Amino acid sequence: MKLSGFRFLSRRLAAAAGSVVVAALCLGFGAATPAKAADTHPDFTGVWTFHPVPGRRFGAVWPKDAPYTDEAKKKIAAYHALVDPTGESPGGYCVGVGTPGNMLSSGGYPMEVIQRPEQITIIYEAWTEIRRIYIGGKPVARRDLIPTRNGYSRGHWEGNTLVVETTSLEEQVDQAAAHTENARIVERYTMSTDDKGKKHLNAVMTMTDPAFYTKPVTVTKEWDATSERMLNYNCNEPTWEDHVEMLSKKAAEKAKASGN
Amino acid sequence: MKSLVFAIVAGMLASHALPAAAHHSGSQYDLTKRDMNWTGVVREFKAINPHTHIMLEVKDATGVHDITFEGQSMSNMYRAGWRPNSIKVGDTVTINAAPRKDGANGGFVLSITTTKGQKF
Repeated sequence: MKLSGFRFLSRRLAAAAGSVVVAALCLGFGAATPAKAADTHPDFTGVWTFHPVPGRRFGAVWPKDAPYTDEAKKKIAAYHALVDPTGESPGGYCVGVGTPGNMLSSGGYPMEVIQRPEQITIIYEAWTEIRRIYIGGKPVARRDLIPTRNGYSRGHWEGNTLVVETTSLEEQVDQAAAHTENARIVERYTMSTDDKGKKHLNAVMTMTDPAFYTKPVTVTKEWDATSERMLNYNCNEPTWEDHVEMLSKKAAEKAKASGN
Repeated sequence: MKSLVFAIVAGMLASHALPAAAHHSGSQYDLTKRDMNWTGVVREFKAINPHTHIMLEVKDATGVHDITFEGQSMSNMYRAGWRPNSIKVGDTVTINAAPRKDGANGGFVLSITTTKGQKF
């Protein structure tokens, strides 16, 4: 059937419009975070090192007088009574600090931020801890999340402020900012530039955990942009190398015993 | 480059920063005593995190002793100027260390000085 000029044009326009919609969806324009907005948000990408603040180790400290509940005090005391005499800690076993301890201190080592519209990745040099902050898209159902030391983080922008909510944590009494698995951590990140043109990253972190704290605890932290290179955190490798060396010695002893 | 002081402080104050091999913390060292020096030949040097390890062959009137030390993290040593060829097995070095609380030989490295005059 021959199309009239008008109908043909309409179909061509409709097809073209459809293509634009499909292309837009393919590019993620249909996601919760508009693509244009991603371009206008501050870009936190780069390497950051803690901003020294007198009296605050590595720029932030967990308050010693945090409003612990009796349950928290009991569990924390039991942990320290067990572990402290040995002088051991998770770090000695190459286990990372966990959130929020990593963002608050991380041993004073730098962190790298890699920003994409749909995900911000933070790599803490210490223990190579990695946090992924998901922006937009469909949240993973809680029943499908495996609790971890760094939890599950989702972010959204409120103007120039990145708001990150972290849940699905493991209970941890082996970091200063002890918490239960039901803790909810909200971090609010902003970036500023000083008079000398140097960039600073600022965070206000609030942890809410009624089982461990009678009220939410808020701590601030600031980082300075740095040209410093992130280093590989060589921690587990020697343990494996020692193990191979031990296997090698055993093999040699076995060979010697068998006369080979 | 960060100062050596920073490296030491950062290494010691990182409460989780402990040696992988020994799994011990800085709590076993008396960090208030900083005048103990050991000179010897490097038998082993492990550039690892959270703490480096160094074994020194030290000779004294009683004989030859292999003495182990813990040090700052590899990362902090790197930032203080250390490089993979800075300290090699067979090198003679002098270690300034905080002693162990239990009185045993060894300690926590505060600085390492090579015969070339490099100090980490």
